[in-house]
Amino acid sequence: MSRKNRKSIHVDKERSLLTHQNPKSPIAEQYRTIRTNIQFASVEEEIRTIMVTSSGPMEGKSTTIANLGVVMAQQGKSVLIVDADLRKPTVHYTFRTMNTRGITNVLTRQAELVDVTQETEVPNLNVLTSGPIPPNPSELLGSKGMDSLIEEALVHYDVVLFDCPPILAVADSQIVANKVQGTVLVVSSGTTDKEAAVKAKERLESVNSKLLGVVLNRKKMKDGSYYYYYAQK
Amino acid sequence: MEETISLKEIFAVLKKRLSLILLITLLATATSGIVSYFLLTPIYQTSTQILVNQKADTENGFDYNQVKTNVELINTYNVIIKSPTILDQVVEGLNLDMSTGDLNEKITVSNAQNSQVVSIEVKEPDPAQAVKIANTTAEVFEKEISNIMNVDNVSVLSEANFEGTPSPVNPKPVLNMAIALVVGLMVGVGLAFLLEYLDNTIKDENDIEKLLGLPVLGTIAVIEDKEVGSSKGKHAKKSVRGETVES
Repeated sequence: MSRKNRKSIHVDKERSLLTHQNPKSPIAEQYRTIRTNIQFASVEEEIRTIMVTSSGPMEGKSTTIANLGVVMAQQGKSVLIVDADLRKPTVHYTFRTMNTRGITNVLTRQAELVDVTQETEVPNLNVLTSGPIPPNPSELLGSKGMDSLIEEALVHYDVVLFDCPPILAVADSQIVANKVQGTVLVVSSGTTDKEAAVKAKERLESVNSKLLGVVLNRKKMKDGSYYYYYAQK
Repeated sequence: MEETISLKEIFAVLKKRLSLILLITLLATATSGIVSYFLLTPIYQTSTQILVNQKADTENGFDYNQVKTNVELINTYNVIIKSPTILDQVVEGLNLDMSTGDLNEKITVSNAQNSQVVSIEVKEPDPAQAVKIANTTAEVFEKEISNIMNVDNVSVLSEANFEGTPSPVNPKPVLNMAIALVVGLMVGVGLAFLLEYLDNTIKDENDIEKLLGLPVLGTIAVIEDKEVGSSKGKHAKKSVRGETVES
């Protein structure tokens, strides 16, 4: 299955980075709305570490995080997207980068963060790919090394985004959620089960993560929808 | 939590599954039409009428009691017509390839209330055969009844025949299709609501707020290829309009 998915990711590459390819599209506008809402989600502290997860696979986590990263970078912030999905990494497909070294190398102290982050075609946007897939992703992500990785990343970047695996599938997301300032839950319209969404929320709450809100993905819009009012046609 | 369904929601569901409903309806109607026109053997019906009337032997013409007797006799005649005594002779006379029992099923004898006219209806796939059976039955009955009942009060009133092209009484394609249409429509609507009920997925912002109590940060529409592909056109437009919409 994963092979097939990867293939489709190649094909959908253009689609995934829509905000970069076509920054004036209404959908890019929708991502900018999400960016703004995240900025206003917290008043006391500026949220600089955000993770994106969903209840199940294929709901649009990676697309959401990539485009969110792009619109944040377009704002002039330096952004790092970290592929914390060590089981089925996809960030390197989305940004067409190598994945020979990545976060696992940093966490196992084989490399320094600054050496393995890669620039992308989007200005101000860097990515940290997964690196070699380890046998124990949960332990790696829960290690002290992860804390120092986040700390170091915050020195170099304004915003660090984490692409996580589905929360109901594995414990990885809960571990990361505990370490970041804010969590965004992606829900796919017409795909995400109601019960699964509730369970995902409960899991995130159980690790005291700050749930910033939900991104409703793949919603079918009518042509006359107000989203299309400005940017198109 | 009590769920209320508004009229608007019902229409929304119907509209959403309109294609499904139409498909099922169309399919049912078409199937019914095909079955009626091509698969079912058409059955033709013909009838002959027999008058049961004693020849008036008094000079005052009709005697009320006589008429009444005749009408009551008809009940007996109805049974006699369908008895093997008559039908065996019909089968023999026409060299029919069926048993008396089969023939019995094809013949219906009836009379209107208080009428002296008995009609013998025959339903048969072959119209010519139907006519033959009806007429033969009437003739045999007319002949035999004098032997059986010792009366001579039966005469054939009208012979069975087909004028022009016979049209089958069964199946009735239009009626069948109409029934299938209604049934298909009902099944379609029922299925639409069932699917809606079974669909336990999150659809829109309302679901999220009701279910999770979390703010919706944003909604991303289905990304269509035209939006990605038109990036060049967008840039061209940009220079014309010269403004950006930033949040």
